[in-house]
Amino acid sequence: MALAALAVAAHLRAQEPIPQPRTSGGCPVESRAFYECAMAKAKTFKAPRTAEGRPDFQGYWRSRNNGIAYDVEPGSGSFSVPPTAGEIIDPADKKIPYQPWALAKRNELRTKGFEDPQGHCAPSGAPRKNNTLFGWRIIQPKGYVTFLYESMHDYRIIPTDGRKHLPPSIKMWHGDPIGHWDGDTLVVDYTNLNGKHWFDMSGNFQSENIHVVERYTMFTPDTILFVATIDDSTLYTRPWTLAFSLERNKEPGYYQLEYACHEGERDLQHFTDDTRQVGR
Amino acid sequence: MRSVGRWLRTPLLSTAAFAAALLAAPVSADQAGPPPPPPPAAPARAATPARYAPPRLANGKPDLQGIWQVRNTANWSLQAHGGSYKTPAGLGVVVDPPDGSIPYRPEALAIKQKNWASREAEDPLEKCYLAGVPRTMYLPYPLQILQTETEVAIVSEYVHTWRWIPLTPLERYPGYESWMGDPRGWWDGDTLVIETVGHNDQTWFDHAGNFHSDALTVVERLTRTAADVITYEATMTDSKVFTRPWTIRMPLYLHRDMDRILENECYIYAEEAGKPIRGQHPNE
Repeated sequence: MALAALAVAAHLRAQEPIPQPRTSGGCPVESRAFYECAMAKAKTFKAPRTAEGRPDFQGYWRSRNNGIAYDVEPGSGSFSVPPTAGEIIDPADKKIPYQPWALAKRNELRTKGFEDPQGHCAPSGAPRKNNTLFGWRIIQPKGYVTFLYESMHDYRIIPTDGRKHLPPSIKMWHGDPIGHWDGDTLVVDYTNLNGKHWFDMSGNFQSENIHVVERYTMFTPDTILFVATIDDSTLYTRPWTLAFSLERNKEPGYYQLEYACHEGERDLQHFTDDTRQVGR
Repeated sequence: MRSVGRWLRTPLLSTAAFAAALLAAPVSADQAGPPPPPPPAAPARAATPARYAPPRLANGKPDLQGIWQVRNTANWSLQAHGGSYKTPAGLGVVVDPPDGSIPYRPEALAIKQKNWASREAEDPLEKCYLAGVPRTMYLPYPLQILQTETEVAIVSEYVHTWRWIPLTPLERYPGYESWMGDPRGWWDGDTLVIETVGHNDQTWFDHAGNFHSDALTVVERLTRTAADVITYEATMTDSKVFTRPWTIRMPLYLHRDMDRILENECYIYAEEAGKPIRGQHPNE
């Protein structure tokens, strides 16, 4: 009995929302309110500069994203997914505007969390890589903004030299991020994604027609407003947008250690069907 | 000068004879007699004198940025080797010891030979594992060097690998063990020096099964010796496996036909091809 009670207590605890700070950069963390507040602060904030005269984002960052690594939509939780507040700011109902058939597919995928490509150590794509529970380092060599992620040693090399996208025949797990500066906002245009990514652990999915535009705006020395607009007319009825906060990691002496993924994997065959027909 | 004159006065001396003369030097060193002088640097393999003026960052340090790749078979074997199934022949890149061999302890050489026999299954690259250092630098795939005045990133296509090399002092993390090691960098004149410790004992130097222990220290030296060339050198020290430090040297060539690296998602491609690579569960 005592064991059962403990198990129930642990289960209840797992279903509680992930504790989140109530503010980030002096703004409330509810997605729409956060976006409005951060945009207002950015109007008067003057970012530190690189030698090239661009906003200097260099250093370690981590996201404060209300648990959307689990679900970009507000949700009441499911297996291994705690309740989430969601981070969609448009549409106003915080739901991805799926076409009906695509919503049905999402609902089916939601029951097959073991098929989440990230669980197979695949690169996470855009914008999900920033949904990580881990951090990353930004460096800004001349002509580039480069993100080195702890999670699965993933990276983004974002050229800001005005080059063009790759031809659409090349589809990749990493896609083709091309950056430019819109005033003090870094804009990253993502194409050439292979469409195999999920946005989260809850089955929200993409196609190879996906086009993502990410915007990074610093509004305090230690806080960046991250906004991503996702367009894919083959899945959604209209573009949709999410926003959350990136916070500077100021832990003294911090640096990223290695997060090898595939090398240490010892259990995936127990969830997927490739050896034991589990789950299908 | 005199020796140069001798070569010049010997118009019939072929390249092959020149190479044979070089190869003869270590053999004579094995013969009985007084201790031989230190072997001369092999001219065919020596680093180009640093007369080339590299592009520089604002702080005056050489700019190594670009997309680079070797054109050799070091990935298959660091030592001189003939061709075999799926393995092209190669001249070898070990420059010290001068005879091009890797100075294994006897018991370690037996492990290398066992690795060699099982390489088609056991080479970590056959499992799409991280390549480790220095192997990640001479894979037959592109890598990109990105650089600021205080840090260097080396990003490889192969299983989306990055190495982050701080050029400013940073304490080591005690007991750290990893596939790609824990690097620190500094400038020695116009040469970028990278010292990497914190390796695990799981990576190989090449497909031939050359290996190391977790006591490995790698010191790499990157010198831009021509517009399209970085002379890359790495010295391995590992007293558990080798009788003395040893060094490889090779050129990295600049890609003029690529403006971005792409990707090589080895283990995901294997899964997509219906051949998933799975580790063994400890309970099985």
